[in-house]
Amino acid sequence: MKRNWLVALIALMLVLAACGGDGGTDTTEDGGTDTTQAGDGGDGEEITLRILSGNVGAEFESNEIAADLFMEQNPGITVEVVATPDFVEDRLGQYLQLFEAQSPEGDVFQIDVIWPGDLAEHLIDLNEYGGADEVAGHFPAIVENNTVDGKLLGVPWFTDAGLLYYRTDLLEKYNLDPPETWAELEAAATTIQEGERADGNQDFWGFVWQGNAYEGLTCDALEWVASAGGGSIIEPDGTITINNDAAIEVVNQAAGWVGTISPPGVTSYGEEDARGVWQAGNAAFMRNWPYAFSLGNADDSEIAGMFDVSPLPGATSGQSAATLGGWQLAVSKYSEHPEEAAKLAFFMAGESEQKRRAIDYSLNPTIESLYEDAEVLEASPFFGDLFDVFTNAVARPSTVTAPNYSDVSSLFFNSVHSVLTGSADAEDAFLELELDLVDQTGFDTGSP
Amino acid sequence: MTEATDVTAPPEEIYDASDSLVVRKRKRKERWGRVGFWALIVLIAIFLLFPFYWAINSSLKTEPQLRMTPGTFIPRDPSTGGIDITFQNYEAVFQNDAFIRAVINSTIVAVTVTVIALVIGAFAGFALGKLRFRGKRASLYLILSMTMFPQVAVLTGLYAVILNFGIPAIPSMILSYMLFTLPFTVWVLTSFFQQLPMDLLQSAQVDGATPFQSFRMILLPLTAPALVTTGLLAFIAAVNEYLFALTFTTIEPDARTIPVAIALFTGQVARQEPFGEIMAAAVLVTIPLVILVLIFQKRIIGGLTAGAVKG
Amino acid sequence: MALATEEKAKEKKGSQSELAKGEQRLAYWLLVPTLVILLAIAFYPLGSVFYSSFTNDTFASEVETDFVGFQNYSDLLSITFAELPQELDDSGQPVIDPDTGEPEYLSPVQVLPRQPRAYREVFTFGLFGNQYVLGATDADFVLSIIDTLIFTVTTIILEVIIGLGIALVLNVPFRGRGSMRAAMLVPWAILTAVSSRIWEWMFIDTRAGLFNIVFQNLGLTDGQTAFLANESFQLPAAIIIDVWKTTPFMALLLLAGLALIPSELYEAADVDGASKWNQFTSITLPLLRPTLAVALVFRTLDALRVFDLFQIVFAQSKYSMASFAYYELIDSQRLGYSSAASVVIFLLITIFAVVYIRSLGIGEDD
Repeated sequence: MKRNWLVALIALMLVLAACGGDGGTDTTEDGGTDTTQAGDGGDGEEITLRILSGNVGAEFESNEIAADLFMEQNPGITVEVVATPDFVEDRLGQYLQLFEAQSPEGDVFQIDVIWPGDLAEHLIDLNEYGGADEVAGHFPAIVENNTVDGKLLGVPWFTDAGLLYYRTDLLEKYNLDPPETWAELEAAATTIQEGERADGNQDFWGFVWQGNAYEGLTCDALEWVASAGGGSIIEPDGTITINNDAAIEVVNQAAGWVGTISPPGVTSYGEEDARGVWQAGNAAFMRNWPYAFSLGNADDSEIAGMFDVSPLPGATSGQSAATLGGWQLAVSKYSEHPEEAAKLAFFMAGESEQKRRAIDYSLNPTIESLYEDAEVLEASPFFGDLFDVFTNAVARPSTVTAPNYSDVSSLFFNSVHSVLTGSADAEDAFLELELDLVDQTGFDTGSP
Repeated sequence: MTEATDVTAPPEEIYDASDSLVVRKRKRKERWGRVGFWALIVLIAIFLLFPFYWAINSSLKTEPQLRMTPGTFIPRDPSTGGIDITFQNYEAVFQNDAFIRAVINSTIVAVTVTVIALVIGAFAGFALGKLRFRGKRASLYLILSMTMFPQVAVLTGLYAVILNFGIPAIPSMILSYMLFTLPFTVWVLTSFFQQLPMDLLQSAQVDGATPFQSFRMILLPLTAPALVTTGLLAFIAAVNEYLFALTFTTIEPDARTIPVAIALFTGQVARQEPFGEIMAAAVLVTIPLVILVLIFQKRIIGGLTAGAVKG
Repeated sequence: MALATEEKAKEKKGSQSELAKGEQRLAYWLLVPTLVILLAIAFYPLGSVFYSSFTNDTFASEVETDFVGFQNYSDLLSITFAELPQELDDSGQPVIDPDTGEPEYLSPVQVLPRQPRAYREVFTFGLFGNQYVLGATDADFVLSIIDTLIFTVTTIILEVIIGLGIALVLNVPFRGRGSMRAAMLVPWAILTAVSSRIWEWMFIDTRAGLFNIVFQNLGLTDGQTAFLANESFQLPAAIIIDVWKTTPFMALLLLAGLALIPSELYEAADVDGASKWNQFTSITLPLLRPTLAVALVFRTLDALRVFDLFQIVFAQSKYSMASFAYYELIDSQRLGYSSAASVVIFLLITIFAVVYIRSLGIGEDD
């Protein structure tokens, strides 16, 4: 009896296997026709555009609303919003695989502020479709960043910049002002940290930021260097300036924070690690992006209503620098409907959309006039205060070093990381970095 | 290890002897052996399960609870310290249609991959483990070499092929997962087949059974537990695969599998990592799998081995 | 070996050699599906990895591709040793560190050659009172090879020991064994991406993480140990994560292997009065050898290709060979270079595989 059971099971497995095999080949043929259908799309009335963008709850929702609006206004065009992972390498990997295959499957792409240069050869020049007019009211720094060899490769969509978060209650408790220089921040952080620890919070730290070896450290370290007058690693004119005394001094200063006012583990911190310490109420200051603002004020937050943001400190007062972040919309060169795709990109990054996104989702607009818009300011009051931060944000040298920016960046953050972890001193590290950057880019060296 | 095997010593020894000093000593040793054995079991269970417990614990916490210092072994309220369990992470996962869709996709892909890899792998494993022919070692090396590259290296070439032939995501995942499941099943089954005594086979041959008959009637039943284990390991490997799935489903969101769906979990705003939800999803995927294995073990392995051993 | 089989077959008489031929034919037919599937899927991708490893191909770019021979390999693997001279002050006297009383040495950057190719520091070490530096044209990759090899060897040894222990314990019949076997699956069944996250969380540098809570309660630390940032904890942490995750794989395979050992052998040994330890070394281990060999081959293969764990836990602060290849491809878009790194991984795996297969005798005719 048991034997029969067994034979039946094996037979079943064989049948399943056969089905599986057949299924595989069948669908292969179906797939073949699928692609041709997609290719035929252009002849018919109906056009399908695919936009690859973020999947973050609010963003994705917002994109679907925008897509619906666009479809209403443009009958005959269907827009498909495809979510891509928030994890940057995953998203870039997906894009690159499509570009490598020169696939027409993706039309509009949400790209990081550091990508236009590296992805240039896959993106159309939006100026051919009237891009110059569309980006007229946007922050010039971002537009410049998105312009490679005179071609406008992306329309700015929303922006980001590094901010200093500080605990208003603690500054008041210790009778301190928000710091304007790194030295002031150090002093304030030390005072508060010592005081809070003496009061029994042994987990308290003065200042948390992003110190892991990744793109985030490039952003943080660029802020230190730029705020000390140490240039922006490689200047827009292609001069390598990183090996200067101001840069060395400020990075040495930052290395001194590790283990004193910042946790020893800060050299493995990303944005979320820093926010974790901050939002548990265990840090006096934090360097982070604007996203932490609304989360910090959420109902279940330990520190809701007890903090504020300001521009980051500088080496001297008023010398603040914030790294430019944010996302652009670009159109793939392999799209079969570049004109419609450009239209979609312009629509989604247009003033009415950006205003809606700013009001409903606190996404920072890239259009200057929106920072004076009453409705926007009512929804997100801190936008007004940060206008200067956003307009003066420092771009990473991604456009000038394209298509080698990621190598430049990883040389830079690895170099800074080795200083932070104490495995090298800044003088040696930046001397070597300079030599490596010369090898990598072929640019000349100079002073900032 | 030796302690553990000690316990298996036939128990009758203890009882049939008279109550001499030697026996009492042995009894005591026996008792300590037993205690040691159970201590070992508990130790193993803690080693295997504690991190999973930590995941369950985390999945029942809100973000502030996760961040609080010191962390707690059961979810507690950050200010009052009372026990405070939340199911919001599970609710969020259940409300996520994409995740439920992904569970179905993963099941389809992994089951198909496992069945094909097992059946075809059993054929090859039988040939390599039990039959005499030229080029055996070369075949083994060739099969293994297919799986010796890191996935990221093979990915680009594979995706080019897939886009070129226009293969939809699910069949492409099934096919490409053969790259790491099939060499595994072939090798494992080869070693298992090889281990089986030859005399059973030879006697079957003498009885006039064809090689295929002896494979089906003798070898397969005997190796059933091994087959199930191999299948299980391959199945889990297929469910776990991320890089291929992520790339192949880029433009086919409906075909996404569990790891891709989890990678797409996001907080309310960019950069926020919904750690609690990720943990909840992991728990939701793992527990049914373990229960399935429990059932499978009782019904199927039990049935198969009981019928098979006497061949 | 194949030759021996053939000779053996020849020796036999007509009908038997007919039988052997039939057997051979059947073997080929049984192998066909596996080989066809694998070759159909892998031929182009694997071929193109080998090919592009000899070119300077850029990923996702139409930039002209040139054949560069072994350039990628030489860039990846060139290393050099240099002695670090003592730092001399203006008067030519060696500089002594006032804190430690040790002499100071020139920094590796000043010592390592930059022309025609730049060498960067992998690590420095002291030997017979001198300081030396190991430099490499690609320090990250050379370091990733060293780290991955340490990771592989350590995890494999631990997994074999713990896995064998668990398998032996679970091979003993006791109440609740079925549940234990199912529980054993948990670590292996948890998605790799998630299990790395769980451990990352337990290793977190504040007292939100398990290890800091425990160590602080034991009075060993102040609860602020940065396990994942501290260089000396990084590899051990990765090893712990991997051992936890994949020991069940080893244990399950070995358990299945144990189940195949006929119980008569142990009964006979018991009658002969052999000790348990003797039974273990003379019956269990030899009969488990083929299973162990296969488990070792696949664990080594996975360990040398380890990727998710390093990518998630260490990002670019510590590379495994495979995560190095990944970042080279995705971030730097150097397809040729990344392919060459993958081929190096392939070759290392081959060496391990051949050693296992030779020493443990897989695929030999018995």
